[in-house]
Amino acid sequence: MIRLKVSLFITCLGELFYAKVGKDVTEILERLGCEVDFPKGQICCGQPAFNSGYLNDAKKAAKQMIHAFEDADYIVSPSGSCTTMFREYPKMFVDEPGWKLKAEAMADKTYEFTQFIVHVLGVEDLGAEYEAKATVHTSCHMSRLLGEKEAPFRLLKHVKGLEVIPLPNNYDCCGFGGTFSVKMSPISEEMVDEKVRHIEETEAELVIGSDCSCLMNIGGRINRKGKKIEVKHIAEILNHHVKGGSHHANENRESTLL
Amino acid sequence: MPGTVENQDTFLNKIATKLGRERNQHVKKPEWNFQPQWDVYQSRSQDELLDVLKKSCQPLHTKVYETNLSKLPDTLQSVIQDYDGGPIIACKDDRFDEYGLSKVLNKLNVFTWDLTEGQSNIEKAQSANIGLVFSDITLAESGTAMLMNDAEKARSVSLLPVTSIVIIPKSSIVPRLSQATRKINEFVKEGKLIPNYINFISGPSNSADIEMNLVVGVHGPIKVAFIIVNDK
Amino acid sequence: MPMKIGNQPFFDRVDEGINNDFMQNAVSSAQDGLRGRKLNATIYDKSLVDWEIWRSAGEEIRRHTLENLDYYLKQLSDNWAAKGGHVYFAETVEDAQHYIQKVVKQKNAKKVVKAKSMVTEEISLNEALEDIGCTVLETDLAEYILQVDDHDSPSHIVVPSLHKNRGQMRDALRKVGYKNSDKPEEIAAFARETLRQEFLDAEVGITGCNFAIANSGSVSLVTNEGNANMVTSFPETQITVMGMERIVPSWEELDILVTLLCRSSVGQKLTTYVTGITPGENIEDIDSPKDFHLVIVDAGRSNALGTEFQSALHCIRCAACVNVCPVYRHIGGHAYGSIYPGPIGAVLSPILGGYEEYGKLPYASSLCAACTEACPVKIPLHELLIKHRQHIVNGEGHAPLGEKLAMKGFGIGASSPSLFKMATKLAPKAMKPLVKDGKISKGPGPMKPWTHGRDFPAPSSENFREWFKNHKKETKKGEE
Repeated sequence: MIRLKVSLFITCLGELFYAKVGKDVTEILERLGCEVDFPKGQICCGQPAFNSGYLNDAKKAAKQMIHAFEDADYIVSPSGSCTTMFREYPKMFVDEPGWKLKAEAMADKTYEFTQFIVHVLGVEDLGAEYEAKATVHTSCHMSRLLGEKEAPFRLLKHVKGLEVIPLPNNYDCCGFGGTFSVKMSPISEEMVDEKVRHIEETEAELVIGSDCSCLMNIGGRINRKGKKIEVKHIAEILNHHVKGGSHHANENRESTLL
Repeated sequence: MPGTVENQDTFLNKIATKLGRERNQHVKKPEWNFQPQWDVYQSRSQDELLDVLKKSCQPLHTKVYETNLSKLPDTLQSVIQDYDGGPIIACKDDRFDEYGLSKVLNKLNVFTWDLTEGQSNIEKAQSANIGLVFSDITLAESGTAMLMNDAEKARSVSLLPVTSIVIIPKSSIVPRLSQATRKINEFVKEGKLIPNYINFISGPSNSADIEMNLVVGVHGPIKVAFIIVNDK
Repeated sequence: MPMKIGNQPFFDRVDEGINNDFMQNAVSSAQDGLRGRKLNATIYDKSLVDWEIWRSAGEEIRRHTLENLDYYLKQLSDNWAAKGGHVYFAETVEDAQHYIQKVVKQKNAKKVVKAKSMVTEEISLNEALEDIGCTVLETDLAEYILQVDDHDSPSHIVVPSLHKNRGQMRDALRKVGYKNSDKPEEIAAFARETLRQEFLDAEVGITGCNFAIANSGSVSLVTNEGNANMVTSFPETQITVMGMERIVPSWEELDILVTLLCRSSVGQKLTTYVTGITPGENIEDIDSPKDFHLVIVDAGRSNALGTEFQSALHCIRCAACVNVCPVYRHIGGHAYGSIYPGPIGAVLSPILGGYEEYGKLPYASSLCAACTEACPVKIPLHELLIKHRQHIVNGEGHAPLGEKLAMKGFGIGASSPSLFKMATKLAPKAMKPLVKDGKISKGPGPMKPWTHGRDFPAPSSENFREWFKNHKKETKKGEE
């Protein structure tokens, strides 16, 4: 078996708040035979600055990231949105052809976590088990900009015990939107409130997503409203109760997602 | 007498300047890379297109009748009955004669648009229950009759009465809008005058302005019926 | 500012929107209904073969046309005039108003009927004509209802009354003598009866223009109710007002764009009426205008030409972006403060009316890109919103100082991994006092708006980088 070399791009949110997701991702990729490394020079992808219109500041972050991941064969990130940002770097460097080339090279080897497993590794059954009635939040950047609508569902289909219920209006944004969530907080709150209403309609006890940012938003609202619905990143599900794996995820480890 | 154009140069020069160049005197329209329109219902027979047309008419609330040339007068008469009869108005169109309908029109006291009578034509159309017209080109995909209106094939006939009955020669059916607009464009390219009013009509007038509920019958006809004539 | 609606500050309008349950219900159910219809008429319609190719076709046509706009407008205006029509190029709103006022005065006309047109809203044409003593009657059902309801503002570019439910519509029509119920059929029948004679009596008919056709000197109207056909048939004088970008080279391109428009906006294969009107000299038709005026309006559109915003002018006003926008869904059209709401409104309004007035709109988006995905001519709407933000940051508008400082800090942190690493290490400690029961419910400063309605997670107690280092050591050991 060829050992693919994977450089983990954990994302700033992941690093700060969701270390467990990073661990699950690492364990899963290793179990699938990848050699995982963590480039130390990685920081935030620059999306907050870029989306707020601070192009120059975003470029600084981009250049640092390009530098940090220069030697990577594959870059894998547990976030559809941050992966999209990497893929969009070339657009930021229209005036800097040298950097544009580097950005393109990096974009070409960057994958979202589930996308990498399904499309690059060609694996769908990770042997996970999770007893729950769940629904899935499809993040906007991942489904629309990255164009990845299938991979999470294909992986979840093989999780034993997991019942996935379709989420009404799943295509509507949860209202996170980075700085939008604080700049336009009254609108953002309305949006996440509707999202939570639809989640409740499914009567699911668990919401699964592929982007910690959306989950932080949805989970934050669910928590505030005192609803008994769990919110988890897909890596946490896929690394749960795995049989025959060398690194059993600790089932008692509390969810870091609220 | 040709009309007037005001403020043209200043306006267009500004556009050119904003676009960062001199005024474009000659532009050749490119051969488009994307031309999906020609793949829609391509190489379908006339019968297949007829089926498509009938299907398209259903959701539009357009009722479709089929007949042949010899039975057309009878069919027309019975369709008119289905829609509660007169008063009836028709365009001045040679095709009524060609399709052997003159007798029926006479018998049913149909008023034929008459330029010499001026405004009273509009009053007649306004009070008519049924308006009779021929389709010039019929679009299968969208259930559409294209009417090339002029002074005698007057637009009011298909606009003001409660019901619009459109006679559709089967030979006039084409896959979609593309074939019709191409034909019009050929006229333009050949330097021919195109009719002042070209109307593509798909079903009765309607509105979804009230809570997105479809209401059939607003300012134009409330009912539309197609009589398809197997003319070949 | 004619494009502007309402006088309140942006956030007051937002509050009004999110507290208006009637409006929110009307908008969300309209969006949900339109979504299915659009999908069935576009990507699910196999007879089209591949909707994406249609979008590319639309984009290609719009791009070429806008790149050569001066050429095609010259062709259009020369052809229109050659057939006896009159063309006026209006650089500003006032130019357009004055020309139309002049025409109406010359005709000694008092009765004007209109079919729905956003560009005439944009140039406040009704007010301009009322100023010279005309009665101006809106005849599109939605516009008619808004007009009789004390000139309520449009909240959507295709269905201007989208914010009203049927009960509110019924009540509005009570003001003009409507006696029946809130059944749509009865309301429509009332409009038919009431307006029929008005069409026949009017002296001037005014419409917008979906697409002008350059090589034949024509305009086209894409409608359902039949009112536009009335407006363009019985009055003696026809005035067509068009935004200068609403043009196609020939009838062949009209085909593509009308297809994209009808399917994207209302999920119809074609609207009930697609009408091409070409002026003529000595028209004999009894039921045709004799005098044709075409007013081509810039009113700020040229601001986008030759800039990164040029593709905003590719818009065909289908409102597909509005219909999928989750922000519009919750705040409604009026909150945008512009007659152009939703994503395209947030892109277009600042181009036409400047950042001073519309600088908040580019931020009224979570950048979810539903708009970009929906646009039938592939305008990268969410990217244009980011570009607006860039312009605002670069000093053309007012970016908040706090944000500027934060982003400066971001820039510094971003260029220095050691600083970033330090920050991630310090964060758990710094945030510790805020954490209660594993979450933050009351955040200070920039966190405050978030924690108004949401909890914020506590930072991970374990440092990932350290875990990873140890984990690597362990696996290495295991392998040895």
